[in-house]
Amino acid sequence: MTHQPSAASAAASAAARPAIDRATDPRNPRLRLEAFFDDGSVELLSAEDNSGMLAARGLVRGRPVIAFASDATIMGGAMGVDGCAVICAAYQRALSDGVPIVGIWHSGGARLPEGVVSLHGVGEVFAIMTRASGKIPQISVVIGAAAGGAAYGPALTDIVVLAPEGRIFVTGPDVVRSVTGEAVDALRLGGPEPHGRRSGVVHVLADSTDDAFERGRQLCDLLGAQGELDLERVTDRDLAASFPESSKRAYDVHPLVSDVLDEDADRVELHERWAPNIVTTLGRMGGRTVGVIANNPMRLGGCLDSTSAEKASRFVRMCDAFGVPLVVIVDVPGYLPGVGQEWDGVVRRGAKLLHAFAEAVVPRVTLVTRKTYGGAYVAMNSRSLGATKVFAWPTAHVAVMGSVAAIRILHRRRLAEVPDAERAAVEQELAEEHDRLSGGLARAVEIGVVDEIVEPTVTRSALAEAIAQAPQRRGQHGNIPL
Amino acid sequence: MRPEATYAVTSELVANVLSLAVAEGDEVDAGAEVALLESMKMEIPVLAEHPGTVVEVKVRPGDVVQDGEILCVIRRSGA
Repeated sequence: MTHQPSAASAAASAAARPAIDRATDPRNPRLRLEAFFDDGSVELLSAEDNSGMLAARGLVRGRPVIAFASDATIMGGAMGVDGCAVICAAYQRALSDGVPIVGIWHSGGARLPEGVVSLHGVGEVFAIMTRASGKIPQISVVIGAAAGGAAYGPALTDIVVLAPEGRIFVTGPDVVRSVTGEAVDALRLGGPEPHGRRSGVVHVLADSTDDAFERGRQLCDLLGAQGELDLERVTDRDLAASFPESSKRAYDVHPLVSDVLDEDADRVELHERWAPNIVTTLGRMGGRTVGVIANNPMRLGGCLDSTSAEKASRFVRMCDAFGVPLVVIVDVPGYLPGVGQEWDGVVRRGAKLLHAFAEAVVPRVTLVTRKTYGGAYVAMNSRSLGATKVFAWPTAHVAVMGSVAAIRILHRRRLAEVPDAERAAVEQELAEEHDRLSGGLARAVEIGVVDEIVEPTVTRSALAEAIAQAPQRRGQHGNIPL
Repeated sequence: MRPEATYAVTSELVANVLSLAVAEGDEVDAGAEVALLESMKMEIPVLAEHPGTVVEVKVRPGDVVQDGEILCVIRRSGA
């Protein structure tokens, strides 16, 4: 006869096991919330039960933030009605307190056993995220799987941070394989590489789970505790120091972005690897949070294209919704030409950038470093779109297009008759004449599309003063994930 | 997952090849210039993403390259 444990001892061990496991299980949402918040600041807002979700109020660098975390110890963190109610209550609290909210995601999606009622719960989460959009900063930190409904949760928020183990997809590798026959693993389907580089779903790729929490904390601070611009703290440096001698030579714009921002403060670049021809970074200037948008000539020559226009427009709208002033650093040869671009909707997606800038009421200051041409000139926070102030460096070109390209169109017939050997010289002569007639930068100042020519050595303080003097407004709109 | 032993350095856009900074057999560091392209009135350096050895150069100065076209192939160090 085999030994049977008594009913009482079986019940005791069943009750004891989860308690022991939960205390040490790294997936325990309370441990994750404790890891995210300032030490000792966590105050739970929901019960540690089987809802699959845990919410808390805590501090991030001493300031209150609301957060919720999936409980991946139960059904892989699946979202049921009760868990969704925990998220909705956390949102109500964050909205009434006016503080940032952070979601720590590790969830396979809606709870299958609950049926359609769980879908209803997930839909209610989406609805409250949308209602909160533009009112309080919403940050998602994805540290495990975030599938199905758990993928769209983060996607509806302002910024998505992905840890190395994070995986985001609507349908997992098994479903993809059975429906389409494509053999793919979770990493390649929804890991850091595809979402960092291809899809644009993820804004920040973290080096580790701890780093993901730290980036989430930096973003709470940058968006939730924006500070005041203190002009005394804005020191000047030669912003042109890292520029190449040749005006045609491409360069990486990151050092310039870095020099514009306070060096001793946090900065977070969003969408670093996706559409790298435009750089979007949150940082501080004189202690105040600002958003920097900069063309990056090193990638695609700094051209705007459909993807970069979309990336920049979402950034502009987010900053406007939260009252973050914008610094727009322009060195753009134009929109990228091509059949692929047109068919990819460069007209529709480029229009988003025009709309975003024209709509924005935050202080938004433009600096033209080398050149700004054509449609891209208009799109990059031009005077016509309502820029607070447009600065240009003394050597900058502001034109419909480069002068050589312009005279090739204007003098097409005449140039066709010029022998090949003489064409370059004739083109050069015509280009110089064109520059004289069109007036270049002086003319741009005269007609008011450039407000001021500024030396690179005093640009930083000029930008900061222009921001400080402008009315500090905030857009009244949500931040739809464009 | 083991990284691929070789990787291709490609052009991101339609461009003229102005010059090549490497030849077959050259060792390159990550971030080293591989080629200089001309497009949109700009001279755009193309950089190696990972360190390694150039095993094949597919273009010559003066060539017109298409978006996504391979400029050279590099075998990763240690692969």
